[in-house]
Amino acid sequence: MKKNWKRLTAITMAGIMACTAAGCGSGSSGESQSTGAAGGTQAQTTAAGGAETTQAAAGAPSSGSGENVTIKITWWGGQGRHDYTQKLLDAYTELHPNVTFEAMPAGWDGYFEKLSTQAASGSMPDIVQMDYLYITTYAKNGSLADLQPYMDNGTIDVSNVDPNLLNTGKIDGKMVGAVLSTSALVTGYNPSVLAEANYAEPGTDWTWDDFKTMCQTVKDKTGKLGTAVGPVDDTNIFHYWVREHGESLFSEDKKSLGYKDDAICADYFDMWKELMDGGMAANPDEYAQIQTLGQEAGPVVTGDAASIFEWNNYTSKVAAVNDTLKMTTPPMLEGGSKGLWLKPGMFFSVAETSKVKDEAAAFIDWFINSEEANDIIMAERGTPVSSKIREYLVGTGTMSAQQQDMFDYVDAAAELSGSTPAPDPVGMSEVNEAFKNAAYSVFYGQATSAEAAAAFRAEADAILARNN
Amino acid sequence: MKLYKDNKVAYVLLAPWLIGFFGMWLIPMFISIYYSFTDFNLLNTPSFIGLANYMRAFTQDKMFYQAMKVTFSYVLILVPLRLAFALFVAMLLNKKHKCLGLYRTLYYVPSIIGGSIAVSVVWKQIFGNKGVVMSILEVFGIHQKMSLVGNPKTALWVIVLMGVWQFGSSMLIFLSALKQIPGSLYESAKVDGANGWVTFSRITIPMLTPTIFFNLILQIINGFRVFTESYVITDGGPLDSTLSYVLYLYRRAFNYFDMGYSCALAWILVAVIAVFTVVLFKTQNNWVYYETGGDE
Repeated sequence: MKKNWKRLTAITMAGIMACTAAGCGSGSSGESQSTGAAGGTQAQTTAAGGAETTQAAAGAPSSGSGENVTIKITWWGGQGRHDYTQKLLDAYTELHPNVTFEAMPAGWDGYFEKLSTQAASGSMPDIVQMDYLYITTYAKNGSLADLQPYMDNGTIDVSNVDPNLLNTGKIDGKMVGAVLSTSALVTGYNPSVLAEANYAEPGTDWTWDDFKTMCQTVKDKTGKLGTAVGPVDDTNIFHYWVREHGESLFSEDKKSLGYKDDAICADYFDMWKELMDGGMAANPDEYAQIQTLGQEAGPVVTGDAASIFEWNNYTSKVAAVNDTLKMTTPPMLEGGSKGLWLKPGMFFSVAETSKVKDEAAAFIDWFINSEEANDIIMAERGTPVSSKIREYLVGTGTMSAQQQDMFDYVDAAAELSGSTPAPDPVGMSEVNEAFKNAAYSVFYGQATSAEAAAAFRAEADAILARNN
Repeated sequence: MKLYKDNKVAYVLLAPWLIGFFGMWLIPMFISIYYSFTDFNLLNTPSFIGLANYMRAFTQDKMFYQAMKVTFSYVLILVPLRLAFALFVAMLLNKKHKCLGLYRTLYYVPSIIGGSIAVSVVWKQIFGNKGVVMSILEVFGIHQKMSLVGNPKTALWVIVLMGVWQFGSSMLIFLSALKQIPGSLYESAKVDGANGWVTFSRITIPMLTPTIFFNLILQIINGFRVFTESYVITDGGPLDSTLSYVLYLYRRAFNYFDMGYSCALAWILVAVIAVFTVVLFKTQNNWVYYETGGDE
């Protein structure tokens, strides 16, 4: 009997594990696959290196429309972006048969980890999609080429780009990034959820009090989340909040926080804690779950939450899943100042180590200025910087309502915008982490908002002083 | 001459491993010693700053202590649990049985796949908000405000549980050791009328002490290196309650570009593990029983 019991236990446990193992089988094989793929990539690179040598050896005869070059290019994005960017590269190769690309698409997660190791080993791709968050770090370490000469000699035509915007790519006097798009903070909302709660859609003149009322109404009437945003994932929304208080997030020398009064920060924490405690906003636990869903299955898209804070390409990004979403400007502060700003969406930078800078610059010019390229891009990377291209895209009438909204929004936001803040300081991602930690200590009830605000200041000042 | 020829073949066959060992392991390791004394940030030319990185860890870095605390708790909870569970399963399997090979394989599977990203993602779903565990608790009327992963008090336990689940390698080692305990010992115990518990505590455990010792050292070293679980399941959160030491040094290196400091952190970990191992070796005379008398 006892023996039987043991046998039963063993069999049951084995069964459970077999199930779990089967459930995870794809995972382990996927991993070994990726290991294999990594090996393959390495082999490929070696092969490519070999090919290059042979190419160089046979370079003399092929003096037709310019030498054959391979441009390595990397970007982050979703599957949609990967697909059309590959199409874009193919189209360029068709126009310039001597230029071929080696594309290295990636998701946002891990993109900069990989890039930093590539940069460290001197194998940074020739063209790099760059974010405002990191451009200073790379510029300060001399990893990025100065594009000013190419803009001066007309290789990259920037005559239709707003000079203020263009200069966001200039760091310590070097033009280290060609800005590709503009974006601005928005509040995205799901009109049908608001209709369900019988709450009027917000206009551009709404305030934080209206925002809270909206969240409360949605919660009371429908039981859904008023907002599904992660308000402390980074400091963008907080930055907006600080600017509304007439201050700036960082001091001019970037060695410390710019605002003087910790109450600004404490108020921000308090507001969100109140919303979370009332079930109106996603608490950290719920938010962690929301994050695993991915943007296209997020609660605002599926109609389980009313609003979110995002960038102005939000509705067009998720239009394939839900094309009824709308955007408005983020709430204003009663009696506050203009908090919005036009943020450079992303940049193309060229690696200092690149041997094909001329060709890379020519491609960037084509990307920014050609109608053909922008027919393919369709403003997926944000509102194009070239005013001519914007006019062209509006003129073609091929844009969806969401894309039209995105373009209109830039104009609406411009009205409410203050001056563009300086690029993020070095150590920004660490500051963001410190901010999140401070905020979570409030959300989890382990510190008062005043304590957390003071702790954030101490942390941030130390990080900034060390890095800048 | 013949010997030399034989060696040549051996070296050729060993070459892939040797290249890996020197190129990916030994040389980088020594380079990292050098970096730990510099302000290297991945992109600059490193300049020598002496012991500043080490000083910084011990005097200025609160996160360093948090990561240490988390990792120590993890190791101290995990290792005994995992060994106990491994021994338990090994005892169950220490029978003559037709399907023994099958069971052994099945129980070993978690150890192979357990460190993978996919399993961690599944774990996150199971224990997360709206996950299976929360739903089951709801059925029994236990209403949790936060999921196990989302609660700073319980998150580490979820990670520990995943570690315990990967008991396979210790189990196999225990199993082979169990098979080597002479049957005559059990027989004479039976003749003397000893019950199950007495046999277990007076024969099995003492005979197993060398194996327990071996497993203990192996698992402690492994435990200190925990990374994937806290990276994927919780990303060190909530409130840094699962910020493992290796995750922290990874963040330092690749998110904050603090490579020099990160190398220093890595070497501090090496020192900690070394201390643990040496201390354990010192204690072995007091509790480990070698039938042959041992070497020491």
